Amino acid sequence: MAVNYETLIEHLITPLVIHPEDVGVKVLSEDDSLITVQVLVNEEDLGRVIGKNGRIANAIRTIAHASAARNHKRITIQIDAF
Amino acid sequence: MKTLVFDAKNDEEALLHAARELRVNPSYITLSHEEKKGMLGLKKTLTYTATVNVNLLDFGYDFLKQTLSQLDIEATIEAELNSETGAYHFTIDSDENPLLIGKSGKTLHGFQTYMRNLMNLYSEDGVNVILDIGDYKANRERQLEILATKTAKEVARSKIPATLRDLNAYERRIVHTKLAEWRDVTTVSEGERPNRYLVIKPKE
Repeated sequence: MAVNYETLIEHLITPLVIHPEDVGVKVLSEDDSLITVQVLVNEEDLGRVIGKNGRIANAIRTIAHASAARNHKRITIQIDAF
Repeated sequence: MKTLVFDAKNDEEALLHAARELRVNPSYITLSHEEKKGMLGLKKTLTYTATVNVNLLDFGYDFLKQTLSQLDIEATIEAELNSETGAYHFTIDSDENPLLIGKSGKTLHGFQTYMRNLMNLYSEDGVNVILDIGDYKANRERQLEILATKTAKEVARSKIPATLRDLNAYERRIVHTKLAEWRDVTTVSEGERPNRYLVIKPKE
């Protein structure tokens, strides 16, 4: 079974936010080597998801990298508020 | 357990306020309220009590389990609360240990950072979370102590400082601690994050 990156990342983001209904995770593009995922959260939650010095964002990226590496792919995550 | 008592007009407003103040996802908050009649019996306010309703150990365990199943990795997870230090220990064992550990423990530390942040959001006082995969940390510690001793001996003999690179804060600490008692070498960490490195210097 292939890993569903959208659900994985959503699963990592959701417990961190206070507006779970506003969390949007979307795969923007996917080819043989690179996956681009966009994460949108409520403006109020942006800080929580990124963390001090981007610590949480980097942790989430690291976890995503590992799962993508298993399928010999790279993954980039863009985190933004709307 | 995190709790908050406050006044609000209705449930919806109360839940959002509680989530904001307690800084957690509203689905983990339990609300209860009492009605207070105003002076003339016209206005009424509701006094809410919001509680973050999680058992941290179960919460962490369930979260890891779900995450690993989303990663499509079968793993056994042990969760334990150390009653002396108050630290939460999680140990993962799976067929994909190397993947979960990552290059020099990078993924492991990502996981740990994430878990620490997550669980601290849901707990009232700061909790320490320690994550290990296989016996990575214990093995790494032993390896580092051997490396530290070997390098220190060489430095003591040659009187030329030696540099250990690519160690994270915890790993540098292990080396510092290991060599703290040595008579003929001193250790310092130099450089700025993320390029900090450890230098073992001969003592004058």
